[in-house]
Amino acid sequence: MPEKTAPLPPEAEIAAIVGHAFPGGVYTVAHWENFLLTECTGADLLPDGMVHPVVLFHMPILGSRTTIGEMFALGRADSDFSIGIESYDWEMFEPLREERPYTVSGTVVSAERRTRPDGRLFDRIQFRFEVAQADGDLAARTTITWHYGRGSAT
Amino acid sequence: MKVQAGDQIPGWLMDSVRPERMRTMAAILRDPNPVHWDRNACDALGFGRRTINQGPLGLSYMVNMLHAWAGPGCITRLIMTFPKVVLDGDRITARGEVTGLRAEGGQRFADCRVWLDRGPDDHPLQGTATVRLPAE
Repeated sequence: MPEKTAPLPPEAEIAAIVGHAFPGGVYTVAHWENFLLTECTGADLLPDGMVHPVVLFHMPILGSRTTIGEMFALGRADSDFSIGIESYDWEMFEPLREERPYTVSGTVVSAERRTRPDGRLFDRIQFRFEVAQADGDLAARTTITWHYGRGSAT
Repeated sequence: MKVQAGDQIPGWLMDSVRPERMRTMAAILRDPNPVHWDRNACDALGFGRRTINQGPLGLSYMVNMLHAWAGPGCITRLIMTFPKVVLDGDRITARGEVTGLRAEGGQRFADCRVWLDRGPDDHPLQGTATVRLPAE
């Protein structure tokens, strides 16, 4: 990994992003988008306009009117290379469909500084997104947990 | 569909992880991280001149395995961890095992352990899935 040159953000600043809500909005998965996404997975298109679940990474992010880059910046990432994935948790209550508008919201639900066994610091930041159907019922909920590497503790 | 705890889910093979798919994915995701499309960036990080597959793409191979097994729309939850990266050119098989069965609201669900297999003791993605089972 490249040398870390950015100053370590104060722990309190990182903790303060908990509760940050993205603007939110409406997102419709177009047929072309589902087609290309599904092709990237190596699968055939799903029946009846069903969207491939792989959409549950970027659709909640873009639908809540943020971006991966903004999420990196919100956690004061040193660089794109300093982000590690802890986990993705995708809950699916109803299959998503092409060309159907969904209301999306997203917030930061936790942010805390931790130390790895080797002494390196990281900030563990967790984002939660909800995707609702037109009637308000949840179609999906996703939780992204990323580690923002901070270099050595000493 | 008859399912028992301990059943192995038929594997789903991605014969060769392709860099052009990562580029398409990066554009759709608006993912600025060059490790998915710039071989020089990967080389500088010590991965050699092979780009790194997006986490969601690796996860999608498990989705494809579960859909092939229990039908499209069968997954109700997927929790994935990413201990290692998947690189372009990798030959990857998604695999799974049923760890438990339960009934809820008149439907049957299988809890599963799922993982990507690159070779002996090499599992770059590992997680769990809950799958709604079709009627017996």
